[in-house]
Amino acid sequence: MVALAGLLCAAISASPAEGLAIQCAKILTMNAEDAVHAPGMVWIEDGAISYVGGVRDVPAGWTLLEEDEMWAMPGMVDLHTHIHSGGFADTNDMVHSVNPELRAHPALRPANRLVKLACSSGVTCLLGIPGSGTNMSGFGVLYKTKTSGSFEEVVWKRVGGLKVAQDSNPARRAGTEGWGNCRASMGWTLEDVAGKALGARREGRKDPALESLEKVMHRELPVLIHTAGSEGVVNTARMWSRKYDTQCVISHGSFDGWKAASAIAEWGVPVNHGPRTMDYFSSRNGRLNGTGAEYDAAGVPLFSLNTDSSVIPQEEFFLQGAMTARLGGDPYRMLRALTIHPAESFGLAERVGSLEVGKDADVVLYDGDPLDTRTRVMRVWIDGEMQFDREASQAFF
Amino acid sequence: MRGAARTALALLISAWALPAPAQETAQVLYAQKALICGVEGDETINRAALVFRDGRIEAIGRRGEVEVPEGAVVHDLGARWIMPGMIDLHSHIAGSGLNDTVFQCNPGLRASSNIIPHNPRMKLGMLAGVTTILFIPGSGSNIGGQGVLLKTGPGGYEDALVRAPGSLKIAQGDNPKRWGYGMQRTLMNHHIRTTLRKGKAYAKRWEAYERGEGERPERRLDLDIFRELEAKRTQISTHTQYYQVVLASLNILTGEFGYDAYIDHGSFDSWPLSWKAEELGVAAILGPREVLWPRLNTYPKDGRVEGSAWGFQKEGHPRIGFNTDAPVVPQEELPLQSAMGVRYGFDNTHFAAVRGVTIVPAEVAGIDHRVGSLAAGKDADILVVTGDPSDPRHAVEVVWVEGEMVSDVRGERGEGREGVRQW
Repeated sequence: MVALAGLLCAAISASPAEGLAIQCAKILTMNAEDAVHAPGMVWIEDGAISYVGGVRDVPAGWTLLEEDEMWAMPGMVDLHTHIHSGGFADTNDMVHSVNPELRAHPALRPANRLVKLACSSGVTCLLGIPGSGTNMSGFGVLYKTKTSGSFEEVVWKRVGGLKVAQDSNPARRAGTEGWGNCRASMGWTLEDVAGKALGARREGRKDPALESLEKVMHRELPVLIHTAGSEGVVNTARMWSRKYDTQCVISHGSFDGWKAASAIAEWGVPVNHGPRTMDYFSSRNGRLNGTGAEYDAAGVPLFSLNTDSSVIPQEEFFLQGAMTARLGGDPYRMLRALTIHPAESFGLAERVGSLEVGKDADVVLYDGDPLDTRTRVMRVWIDGEMQFDREASQAFF
Repeated sequence: MRGAARTALALLISAWALPAPAQETAQVLYAQKALICGVEGDETINRAALVFRDGRIEAIGRRGEVEVPEGAVVHDLGARWIMPGMIDLHSHIAGSGLNDTVFQCNPGLRASSNIIPHNPRMKLGMLAGVTTILFIPGSGSNIGGQGVLLKTGPGGYEDALVRAPGSLKIAQGDNPKRWGYGMQRTLMNHHIRTTLRKGKAYAKRWEAYERGEGERPERRLDLDIFRELEAKRTQISTHTQYYQVVLASLNILTGEFGYDAYIDHGSFDSWPLSWKAEELGVAAILGPREVLWPRLNTYPKDGRVEGSAWGFQKEGHPRIGFNTDAPVVPQEELPLQSAMGVRYGFDNTHFAAVRGVTIVPAEVAGIDHRVGSLAAGKDADILVVTGDPSDPRHAVEVVWVEGEMVSDVRGERGEGREGVRQW
């Protein structure tokens, strides 16, 4: 059985010599035109996509996979995840209150149990970031959810982007300094270190601890910022987009943060929302607010979702979209919020987030609508190699 | 014939004794599909018409085949579906004071002391379509006390009350271990059995007295609940999970004492006992945890996530329902509990996920004469859904509780709902 599954995997992975053509009922490309091909085809060559469109003749020698009942979508991209070590271990080094020198990648265990579950649910690209125990906890690792392979084979960028935490959680930290850390203090701490990084670049000082942060301050690396509440969201956006011109993405933005949505929409700051996507108590308007729907409706650019895995299990990333749709969001836009929007907002759209020629062949086959809980992920390819086959694995989703 | 007799009686009363009670105007719903959740396994009616009046459903059937009373108010719901209000048999949100854990076994305590009717959390549940809940004490002691079956809609305690006692809450899993002095499962089961024996003997003494045999027993408020259990007027809802704990629940509560009982939780590796639960007629009301994650070392499963509902169903169990343990899972996410059951393997071909939050819990709690399905004579607890409720993208837009429209958010969800981009 295992041998058979192995054979099957080999047969429908594209080898460098010849390509693989996947023909299916419907292809949701998630490209700029929102093209849907029904029926359609995706061609995979050398780990990349070489054609997406209507059904056409396949070159001789290629493998043709006819899945006339299935849907294809790009693999999902989650920017706020903590499963890279296989649990919550090694995600918070809380010695200092700002840690621009720290990197998450030494904690990565490729193809760990959680990553495999992620892959089997159609999530193919993750930013594994440090926790929010400190104001600046370090740089996340960007990797694919391949179900086997070495560190080098799964990692896309060792230094994928900075994690900043500006609200709530780091306030709990007393640390070695032993002070109570509130918003004003957090703001000061962050501006202090940001100023040092800017100064180091300006004055040509070489400081290994500030090297990556300098890149953030000059838009050479993106930054994901844990923030929440309307005052938190607006403070964060003001600091990282107005005061400093960084490639920043607001992460969480929970509770009544959506009330600041129109302001940050004007400033053009993307929001990566979750794990909490609804609010009842903080908004104080007597309603259960679908907070994701509120952000998207306010015109925040590149609205995307996250799991903060394992706060929400990584395999329930799609459900964040379904629940946001349940509470008033447009279901189709929620698919974009799981794929191309996170990719674009973090500068990853050159390779992932949509099914387009030249991009990585991260393709997921579903037996129906990807946002429906009853739909199953049937097969997953990452970089053109099949990583998951539901029939062989007997998984449930 | 009965109808005619009733009319004659009504006329007589109105002529001779009382003014005729003003009959409300009937209301008619036209829906694309009705999930009726029938007791006999009936599933759906396409192009459905439902008539209700005075808080009760009068008729349901295919449009054109149902007689519509003259002057009835018509609600044409277009492409929307209708279904019965949902029922959650494990909820802690109807008030305050969750756990009186002074004694290890507290069969006399009543959750009814704690109720704040239609509080904000109940209201949220109601807006999402949960119209009936069993409000029960927590699992801090082995016998937490008596639950109450309540409607979530507006009004006072009397308006909301469906039945008291709604159940006797027993807890056999892990939580009551915290109660004290290092007690484990063996001792907990011993104390539960001791209390049940006392209670059964008490109920039997009353039965004998009522048959004219023996003296009138002294009233014991702490044991009165056992007279209800003995007469099958209420059930035991038992917090139980893990194989060995569920086995003890089945053997003790139903096997040894013969009470109507149902599994509440049934998480982890409970489902291999599905066959025994079925044999004893014990239903499985699953949640809030309904997946078994590959991490549990005691139960190897090849690294995959397994659904509890999948397991119970695989073994052929006919009565599987879902709960939230609200606020553990928010009350408004009851339908999500069953939807996730489907995701993790539960076969929904015949709308088992919808039945598991409607008619199954209604039958299990013995309130199916009033709620749980769309049938003539039952309470008009009716939901309007944008589509299949097993898909969480669809939402409840209108709610009637006993014929009163308590929520209508049509049009408030933006044009989005019906005009969303199709793909």
